Amino acid sequence: MSIESFGNWLYETPLSTSIREVTWIIPSVQSVHLLSIAIVVGSALVSDLRLAGVLATDESPATVVRRYLPWMWIALIVLLLTGIVMLIAEPGRTLGNTVFWAKMALVLFAFALTLFFRKPLLDPAFALEHASWRGAVKPAAWISLVVWVAVIFCGRWIAYT
Amino acid sequence: MSLEALFQKLYDSPLAAAIRENTSYFPWIESLHVLAITLVFGTICIVDLRLLGYRAHRRGARRLIVDLLPFTWAAFAVAIVTGALLFTSNAVAYAHNAQFQWKMIAILAAGLNMAVFHLTAYRRIGDWDDAHRPPLAARLSGAFSLLLWIAVIVFGRLIGFTLSVF
Repeated sequence: MSIESFGNWLYETPLSTSIREVTWIIPSVQSVHLLSIAIVVGSALVSDLRLAGVLATDESPATVVRRYLPWMWIALIVLLLTGIVMLIAEPGRTLGNTVFWAKMALVLFAFALTLFFRKPLLDPAFALEHASWRGAVKPAAWISLVVWVAVIFCGRWIAYT
Repeated sequence: MSLEALFQKLYDSPLAAAIRENTSYFPWIESLHVLAITLVFGTICIVDLRLLGYRAHRRGARRLIVDLLPFTWAAFAVAIVTGALLFTSNAVAYAHNAQFQWKMIAILAAGLNMAVFHLTAYRRIGDWDDAHRPPLAARLSGAFSLLLWIAVIVFGRLIGFTLSVF
C-alpha cells in the first residue's frame, strides 16, 4: 500500500471523519499543540542558554536541566498526541508533504540532542567536567536552539505547502 | 479620520498589497510571529509558575524575573511588529473579526495585570523573594497571567478559522 492510498484510507475512516465533523476539535487541538510547543521552546531556551554558558551561569547546568527536563518530556508527549489527532483528521495535509517529514526529522534530531546532552545530567553522580564529550556541549546547545526554531517554521509552513 | 477609514487606508497601502500578493511573505511573517509568541508564552509561563510556587532554575523569584524578562520583551516586540504586518495585509477583515478583538482585549488585560504586579507585589519582593509560596497578590498575578496568555494564543489560532478574507 502506498503512503498516498494509506492517507486516503485513513481520511475515510469513521474516526477521521468525526474529528473533522466536530468543528471545535481541530482548533482546540491546534491551540493545545501551540501551547505545548511554547513550553518546549521556553524550557529549551533556558536549558540550552545555560549549557551554552550564557544564562544563569551561577547555577549548575544540572540544577537548570533537572528543573526543565520533566516539563519538556510532558510537553513533547502532548505534542505527539495532538499531532497524531491532526494527522488522523487531515492525512492529505501531512503524509505527502515534504515540510511535514522535514519537521519530523528535525524533531527526532532535537529529541536525540536533548536525550544525549541533558539526560546524563539528571544523575547526581555524573560530573560534566569529566565527560569525554564536554567540548561538544556548547555547540550542541546552540544547534538544539536552531533546530527548535526550524521545527516551528516547518510547523507553520505545513499549512502552505 | 475614522478608524474604519484608517483600516481601509492600511489595506490600500503598498506594504499591505505586497504582503497579500507575494505568496511567501505571509507565511514567513506568520512563522516569525508564532516563534515570537512561543518565546513570550514560554518565558512568561516559567515566571508565572514560579509565582504560583513551582520552582524554576533558581530559588529567588527576583533573579528569575531579571533572567527572563529581556527575552520576553524582545520576543514581544517581534510579535507586535510581525502581528502589525499581518494585520495591515487585511486590516478591515481583522478589525471586524471577533476573535481578533478578543485577542487584543486579552493582551491589554495581560499588560494591565503585569503593571499591577510590578506596582504592588513586586515592590515588596525583598520580603518573599526566596519564599516557596509567594504572597496571595503574587500568586493571583501569576494565575491571571497564565490564563490571559492562554486566551491570547487560543483566540489567535481561532482567527485563522474565522477570518473572512474578501
